[in-house]
Amino acid sequence: MLLFAAMPRAPTTDPRFAEIESHRGYLVRYALSQLRDEQLAEEAVQEALLAALEGIGKFDGRSTLRTWLTSILRFKVIDIQRRLVSERANVAIDDERLVEDHEAWLDEMFDETGHWRSPPQAWNDPEAALEQRRFWQAFEMCLAGLPATASRVFFKREVLGEDTPVICRDEGITSSNCWVILHRARIALRMCLERSWFGSQAAHDR
Amino acid sequence: MIAEDEDLNCRKASGLLSLACERPLDANELRALKVHLDECLMCTNFEEQLRFLHRCAEVFRTG
Repeated sequence: MLLFAAMPRAPTTDPRFAEIESHRGYLVRYALSQLRDEQLAEEAVQEALLAALEGIGKFDGRSTLRTWLTSILRFKVIDIQRRLVSERANVAIDDERLVEDHEAWLDEMFDETGHWRSPPQAWNDPEAALEQRRFWQAFEMCLAGLPATASRVFFKREVLGEDTPVICRDEGITSSNCWVILHRARIALRMCLERSWFGSQAAHDR
Repeated sequence: MIAEDEDLNCRKASGLLSLACERPLDANELRALKVHLDECLMCTNFEEQLRFLHRCAEVFRTG
């Protein structure tokens, strides 16, 4: 494996190394969902796996190996996202354009009286979905289906729990536009989950 | 900004529900939202789904 070639000093007799490598596919999909770029995703995963090999002695087994690897990968993904943000420092988001786009998008979501065109339905036992692996596949697919900025901002705000001012600063956007992006991301995510998981046909298929 | 006696439609109510994830709503916003949610099952569903998305993110983070 390339990974082991990159770590010539690693004691590859440890059986956990093979197990680490076995999670590569999942980790690449995860990184792709966040970075939308195969090369960057591979870069993040490679760095995460190397960090995991170096730090495997610290893995105490209190979480699953996949959870531990994912937590390492998240930090690598964030590092890359920060790098991308700093690299595009001169490509500021056009605030006025964003608001116009958002209003036009809302026009598609709501009719002229402001009512939902596709009303949110009650979801049957959503808590139970959290226990199902296929639900998380659907969740990741929905997250990946968001526009890149929306996916990134939602991930930082909701998954990482970063404060909005920090996100605004890092993304170079105003707080009102941060809210616009998050609002749109939430509506789009709920629509996607309703379509792919909670909808009656999807539920019937399960 | 929400006026003192303003009635919300779903478009505005959903925006306030999302905004409430970012900052505390003021008195007018809370009043208007409560009035709307008391009558609108669709927005009540949306409110519950926002909570669920937050829960998903929490579980996603902690594994």
